[in-house]
Parts: sequence; C-alpha cells; structure tokens
Amino acid sequence: MSGLADLTLGFIPLTDCAPLVVAKSLGFFAEEGLEVTLSREASWATIRDKVAVGALDGAHMLAPMALAAGLGDDGVVAAPMLAPLALNLNGSAITVSTALADALRAVDPEGMAADTVTARPLARLIEARRGQGAPPLIFAVVFPYSMHSYALRYWLAQAGVDPDHDVRLVVTPPPRVVAHLQSGGIDGFCVGAPWNAVAVSEGVGEILIKASTFWPGGPDKVFGVTEAWAARRPDDLRAALRALIRASAWADEPGNHAELVALLSRPDHVGAEPEVLARALKQEIVFHRDAAGLPRREHALWFLSQMVRWGQVGPDLDLEAVADQVYRPDLFREAALSVGPVVEPAMVFADAPPPPPAALFDGAPFDPADSRGYAAGFAIGRVQG
Amino acid sequence: MRVLVIDPDPARAALVAEGLAGVDPLQVRQATTFDEREVLEFAPDVVVIASDSPDRDILESLRESSVSNPRPVVMFVDRSEPGLAEQAVRAGVAAYIVDGLSPARVRPILDVAMSRFALTQQLRGDLAKAKADLESRKTVERAKGLLMKERGLDEDGAYRLLRKLAMDKGRPIGAVAADLLAFANILKGDAS
Repeated sequence: MSGLADLTLGFIPLTDCAPLVVAKSLGFFAEEGLEVTLSREASWATIRDKVAVGALDGAHMLAPMALAAGLGDDGVVAAPMLAPLALNLNGSAITVSTALADALRAVDPEGMAADTVTARPLARLIEARRGQGAPPLIFAVVFPYSMHSYALRYWLAQAGVDPDHDVRLVVTPPPRVVAHLQSGGIDGFCVGAPWNAVAVSEGVGEILIKASTFWPGGPDKVFGVTEAWAARRPDDLRAALRALIRASAWADEPGNHAELVALLSRPDHVGAEPEVLARALKQEIVFHRDAAGLPRREHALWFLSQMVRWGQVGPDLDLEAVADQVYRPDLFREAALSVGPVVEPAMVFADAPPPPPAALFDGAPFDPADSRGYAAGFAIGRVQG
Repeated sequence: MRVLVIDPDPARAALVAEGLAGVDPLQVRQATTFDEREVLEFAPDVVVIASDSPDRDILESLRESSVSNPRPVVMFVDRSEPGLAEQAVRAGVAAYIVDGLSPARVRPILDVAMSRFALTQQLRGDLAKAKADLESRKTVERAKGLLMKERGLDEDGAYRLLRKLAMDKGRPIGAVAADLLAFANILKGDAS
C-alpha cells in the first residue's frame, strides 16, 4: 500500500470551498501524505450529520453550525465539533430583487445612494406597505445557524426592522436563490459567493451591502471535524490543516485566480460561470492574508452572542466554554508554524498583537468579554429569560 | 398517518412510496422538491427526505421555534436505539416528524425507506456493472475484428490471442482490448 491515509471531506458548492478544492486538485493533500476524496453535498444538515456519524472525516462548514453541533439540539446526532481553521473572511452579501431595489430607491433615494446602505429604506418601505395591507417581504438565508442569517437579522434590526415580525425569513438552498428571486418567490437573500454575483449578472438582483462592508474581515466558513476524530487522528488532522493553509495562501494570490476560477467552475465543484466566480474573488473574499485562517475566539463569541440574541440558545449556556471547546486557534498555530514562511508570523504566535476590535458597519462596539451583555443590549432581539 | 417523500430522484421516491404502502394505514405522497403550499395542504405527519436533496435545509429551518410555524418539526433520531441515526445517514435518508408523534410509529417508515434506498443503490450498481460488461464485450469484439484484419487470424484465433495477452499482463481482457484499440488509433493517426 502507498501508506497514504484515506480521508473523505465534504463541501457545499460555494466559492469558499476553494481551499479544499485547491488542496486536492493541486496535490497539497497528497504532498502531506493524504489520499483525499472530496464529496459534494447538497445541504448543510447532511454535512453536519455525515461528519457527526463519521461518514465524512471533515468538511466545509458554516462556523455557527460547528458551534451549535455539540449543544445536543433535539433530534440531532450530538457530536461536539472542532473548528481548527477558518476557511475565509467575507464573501457573502445581501441582495434584493431589482423590483425591490427600485421601490427602495423611490422611498429613500439618499439611503440607497449611501456608501453603506442600511435597512432604513427597507424600514420605510415596510411601513408604507403595512399601510396598504401588502403581504410581508420574504428574505431567504441558507441555514438558521449561519453568518448569513445573523448578518441579515443584524442589518434588518439595526434599522428597526424586526426580522421575525416585519419580514418573513425562509431557508432556500443556495443554488435556488437566484431562480426564486427571479420568480418573485423571495424578495431578497443573504448568501455566500458566487450567488450574489450570479443574481447581478443575470439582471435579477442588486447587491445592497457586502459582507466586507457589513463587517470588514468578518468570519464566515470553517473547516470542521468532530472532537472525537481529532483526538483519534491528530497527525492526519495536522497534515490536512497544513495542506489547507497552503491551499488558502495559493488561492489568495491574484496570479492564481484564473486557475482557481477554472477549478471552481467545474461542474463537480461549484459549477458556476467563470466570470461571476472571478468577480467575487476579486472584490471580496479572503482565504489567507490578514490571518484569515486563524479561528478567532472573538468570532466564535460574536456568533454565540447572536444565538443568544435570537433565542437559539438558552440563558444557561456557558458561551466562553463553548467558544474555547470548538474554536481551536492552538491547532491552527501548530500546523501553520510547521508550514513555515507561507504564513505571516504575526498570526501564529500567541503573543501577537491583538486583532483590531470587531467593527460592524453601525459602529456598535462588541466586547468579547461580555457577549451576553452585548446580546441583551439590542433594541430588537429574542433573548430568553 | 400522512407521509411525504421528498426525493430529487423520482424513481427512488416511487420505490419508497410503494414500500410504504404496505405499512400501517398510510397516505403517501411523493415530491421532487419541498413546496410549502403542498406541505400546508397535505399536512404530513412525517417527511422522509433524501440526503441528496438540497431542500433538507428547509426542513432543518422549520425545527426552529418560529412564530409562523405552529407545528414544529423535529428530526427523527431514536435515542433508544443507538446506531439507527448513523445507519440512516449512511443510507442517505433522513426523517422529520411533527412534534409529538411517537418514535415507535416512525421507525417502520424509516426502515422501509432505508431498505428501499439500499435496494436502489444495488439496482444502480448492477445496472452500471451490466453497462460496463456490455461495453467491455463490445470492445473485445472490435479488438477481435482488428486482429482478424491485421493479423489474418480467424475469430477463435483472435480471441485466444487477446486472452493470452490478458493472462500475460494479468489484466482484464476488456482492458487489454481497449489498449489495443487505442494503440491502433494512434498508429492510424501517425500513418495519415
């Protein structure tokens, strides 16, 4: 036998699966002694379940899904997960139908022309529609535990739109959001690349705010494995992280973007048009630089604060403990240090200067040391008593 | 009890629905995608969904306690039977039930779904193998024809030569025949 370890890793067809696709296609996994099979999955729930039962060794995951996986939610195969690597920063956006964008411009032209578009125009339009007895506008996200869901909810609530009462939130699988926007089944969505760019290029949607404006350098997907798998196969995990870190650095290089786009556009990967994939890469998404791969504790705590805010978790959960159990910057650092100069030293040492404080578009400060206080401080929320 | 089967593969869904018809007093409906209006109208007690359906995440979202959803669904995991959930995940099927339904009533439904999924997989495997066999037989026929023409062998002689090549190389006769045809094409390409 070759001596290579066999791994099966799952992904969802989105631009931010790039580190996995690159590590496999360019042979980074093989160079680390890993024989990897990539398995394209149809839903996040299936990713979660397959990783939980061991049908997948690891996967491209929504960061909040990894945090929620160990909470023993009713009906889920509870399996504590680890996030030893962040796959990307930014990448998603809030997009509305061109019809809704026109209606928003009509009620609030200044708001729509602002550098940072808030939901103020939407709040005004909803007020007007209520007077006319019009049905609530429908917005789609891809999963209840996702950056997209929390970003959309935050953005709506910041302008006084209650996401649970003033609009209807639904879940729509990413490959269908553009078709639903076109058919009028939904009025807007928050989803990852490349689907916002697809909606724009097909002339059916308009982007209102990108993740990089909502929260510059904000978190998104992670590479997730179960705690049990990581304990059983520490060497394979380190090897996989090394390959993924090298792949992330490769994917960030503008000189490699043409090749990356060609890889991603393959039907067995993302299967979208090369032009739209290229656009999102250029404008938004970060895989490696600015310590993008480091699973930051403050990111985990922000996600957990939003779970508290929207009533997904109860008052007794120890947020710090969950963050420290799931987010494992130590595993990232260990792997990154062993890769060598491909990684900026600043991101791998524990005594590196702290990151800039999280700066969301509204300027509201987030103190990771008081994430429950933060969660309770919003005018709109469903914090459980 | 009303069961909705959501499966992007209509043939497999039909097989599952047919299997379920033998269980309990059941009303079974099948769909390739989740359609909210249809679900509201049919009001299923159990939704059986293929894990290769992207609509699973919609069902997942209905588990969230939401204002607009008075009948929350839960994913069916029988805790009294460890390993069942794993078996279902590996079989590629998940079940969601309306809260309050007894797990004992869901179990036979999931069993039928899992066995029918396994059956489909086996049928597909058999079909793929039959296709490959047929393909290999065709390749062997063509390679035989080539040898007969180029080497002046009769049919039996051509087959024996192929079989000898296969035995010498320790490879299947279909693969040796395919190599032979590929080389012949290259040589033909060079000559022209």
